[in-house]
Amino acid sequence: MNIISVGVNHKTAPIEIRERISLSEVQNKEFVTDLVSSGLASEAMVVSTCNRTELYVVPAMTEVNCDYLKEYLIAYKDARKDVRPEHFFNRFYCGTARHLFEVSSAIDSLILGEGQILGQVKDAYRIAAEMGTAGILLTRLCHTAFSVAKKVKTKTKLMEGAVSVSYAAVELAQKIFSNLSMKKVLLVGAGETGELAAKHIYAKNARNIVITNRTLSKAEALAEELGTNRVLPYESYKEHLHEFDIIITAVSTKEYILSEAEMQQSMQRRRLKPVIMLDLGLPRNIDPEVGKLQNMFLKDIDALKHIIDKNLERRRAELPKVKAIIDEELVGFAQWINTLKVRPTIVDLQSKFIEIKEKELERYRYKVSEEELRRMEHLTDRILKKILHHPIKMLKAPIDTADTVPSKVNLVRNIFDLEEPNQSLQ
Amino acid sequence: MANIFIDNSIVFLLTQIVPLLYIFTATLYGLHFFRELPQAGKYKQTALIVTVVTHVADLGILTTMEGYRLSYSAYNLMSMVALTLTITYMFIELTTKSDKTGFFVITFAAVSEIFTSFLAAQTTGNGPAFSGIGIGVHLIAAIFGFSSIAIAGLYSGLYLVLFRQIRLNRFGLLFQRLPNLEALELLIMHAVGFGFFFLSITLVAGVIEQRASAESINLLDPKLVTLIVIWLLYGISLFIRPLFGWDVKHMAVLLIALFVLITLLLFLMSLITPTFHSTSMIHVLTNHHLKI
Repeated sequence: MNIISVGVNHKTAPIEIRERISLSEVQNKEFVTDLVSSGLASEAMVVSTCNRTELYVVPAMTEVNCDYLKEYLIAYKDARKDVRPEHFFNRFYCGTARHLFEVSSAIDSLILGEGQILGQVKDAYRIAAEMGTAGILLTRLCHTAFSVAKKVKTKTKLMEGAVSVSYAAVELAQKIFSNLSMKKVLLVGAGETGELAAKHIYAKNARNIVITNRTLSKAEALAEELGTNRVLPYESYKEHLHEFDIIITAVSTKEYILSEAEMQQSMQRRRLKPVIMLDLGLPRNIDPEVGKLQNMFLKDIDALKHIIDKNLERRRAELPKVKAIIDEELVGFAQWINTLKVRPTIVDLQSKFIEIKEKELERYRYKVSEEELRRMEHLTDRILKKILHHPIKMLKAPIDTADTVPSKVNLVRNIFDLEEPNQSLQ
Repeated sequence: MANIFIDNSIVFLLTQIVPLLYIFTATLYGLHFFRELPQAGKYKQTALIVTVVTHVADLGILTTMEGYRLSYSAYNLMSMVALTLTITYMFIELTTKSDKTGFFVITFAAVSEIFTSFLAAQTTGNGPAFSGIGIGVHLIAAIFGFSSIAIAGLYSGLYLVLFRQIRLNRFGLLFQRLPNLEALELLIMHAVGFGFFFLSITLVAGVIEQRASAESINLLDPKLVTLIVIWLLYGISLFIRPLFGWDVKHMAVLLIALFVLITLLLFLMSLITPTFHSTSMIHVLTNHHLKI
C-alpha cells in the first residue's frame, strides 16, 4: 500500500508551465474519476491552484508509478510540447504525507503562511469525496493535514502580520489609531489598489470611508460595493482634507497630487491631530516633504514593504515550531498506516480462533444442557480473548520502521497457520 | 535604638522577599514581552498577584503588629509608590486584558522597591507618630499622585519610542508589541487627570493640616516647590490639550521630564534626610500629634 504524489509547483516550474498543467474544477473531477474508474488507482485527488497542480494517488497496479502519473497528466492536458517530466516533483509514502502537511500549513506556499491554501486543499478533498475517489487512505491523510493546519494556525504565529502592501497599510493604521470605526478615511483613487486597501480597512470596521476619483462613477460604484455610499468630487476633495484621519492615495499620476503646503494647512485646521497618509501610488502621489510635518505619518510602498519584510522574518522564525507539529502528526499517520497493514492478519487470527471455538463447542452441543453450553461458550470466549490479547497487542505496537511490519505479520501467520492474506487489503 | 526590620524575623524575611518578587515578576514580563516565552506568559500574572499580596502582607505586619509608621520617610513612600503602581497596573491588565506595558511599569516598581529595601535596614524605631484624617489623606493622595506621575512618565516614554519607530520605519519588536499610539495617549491623559486630582488633594490636605498647627511650613522645601510646579503643569496640560490641541509628543516630553525630576528629588532627599519634609514640617506634624 503506497501513496504517491507528483506535481508541478512554484518551486519546480515557471508560471507558464504551471498555467499549462493546471486543472479547472470540471477537469479535476473528470481526471480523478478517469484515474479510478480505469482501475489505475484505488484513490485519487488533485490539488490545483495558481501555484501548484499536484496529484495524490493510491495506485491500484504496480505499473502506476510516478513516471506513469506524470505522463498521464501531461497527456490529459495535451501538453507534451511544453511540459516535461523534469518539471515535476515526486513523493512517496510518508514523503507524500509530509508534503501535503507542508502545503496545508502554508509553509510550502509562495508567500510563507498565506491563508488561502488550506481552503484550496479542502476544495480538492471535497471534489475527490464527491467523485468517490477519496478512500480510507486519502480521507485520513487529508483530515490529518487539516488538523496540522489548524494546530499551526493556533499554536504558531505563521499566519500573523500583513504580507501584502494594502494589508500592511491597514496594520500600520491600527498601530496609530485604536478604533478604526471612529476614524474618517479618505480614499483618493478607485482603481484596483485603492479598492483592495478600502476593502481591507473596511474589514477592520472602518465604516466612515469617503471615496474620490477623477471618474466619479467609479468612486460611486466602489462606495456602493462597500456600502458606504459616500463620495466627494475630485475637484473639491482638497477642501475637506482636514476632516480625515486616514488618507489613502492610489492614483496613476506623474505629479504629486498633494503638496506640503496643502497638508500643512490641513494640519493646522485639524489642530495637529495625527494623520496617517498611505501613498500606494507608483509613481508616488504625495510630496515626500509632507512626511516631515508634525504628527503626520506618511508612508509609501517602500515603507510598507518594511512591515512586510519584518512580518515575513517573523513568520520564518516560526518554521521550526511548524516542522515540529508536522513531525508529530507524521509519526501518528505512519503508525496508523502500519495498523492498516496488520489489520487483515488480526481479522484472520480472530476468525481462526473463533472457528476453532465454534467447532469444539459444536461437539458438545447435544451432550450438555443449554445453560452449560452457554457457560462453556462464555468461558472459551474469555480464554480466547486472553490468548489473543498479546499477539494482537504485539501486531499493533508502534514500530521503528515500516520494514518490521511484514516480518511481524509473517511470524504471526506462520505460528498460527493462517492462510495467505487477501492482496487487495494489503 | 532597636531596628524593627532586623529584630523581627518575619518582617526581615518579607522585606527581603518583596524586592525579589518584584525582580522575578519584572523578569517574567520581560521574557514574555521580548522573547515571547510561553512559560513566562503563563505564570507572569500569578507572579504579579503573589507580589502584590506579599507586599501588602509585609506592610500589614509592619503597621499592625509592629506599630511602624508608613510614609515617615521618602524611601518608605517609594515602597508605597511601587505597590500602588503595581496595583494600578494589575487593575489595567485585568480589566483591559492588555499586558504589553507590564514590563516597563513593574521594572520601575522593582527598582523603587530595591531602593526602599536597601535603605530600610537603616531605619530604627517607629518614627514620629502621624495621625488624624488630614495627614492620612495628605499621605495617601501624595502616594497616588506620585504613582500617576510615574505612570504618565512611563507611558509618555513608550509613546515617544513608538512614535519614533513609526516615523523612522522601524517596524521591529516594539512596533509589534506595544499598544497603539492612541491607546497610549489615552492612558497618559487619564494618568494626568488622576495625577492632577490627587496632587490637588495632597496640597489642600497639607494646607489644612498646616493651618491647624501652630508652626509654619518651609515654603522653600524643594519637594513642595516641585509638587506645586507639577500640579500647575498637569492642570494646564489638562485644559490646553482639548482647548488648543497641544501636541501629545511635546506633552510627553514634559511629562517624562517632570517624572524624572520628582523621582530624582525623592531619591536624593531619601539619601540626605530620613524625613520626607524639611525639619520644620516634621515639628509641625509631631506637635500636632502631641496636641491630639
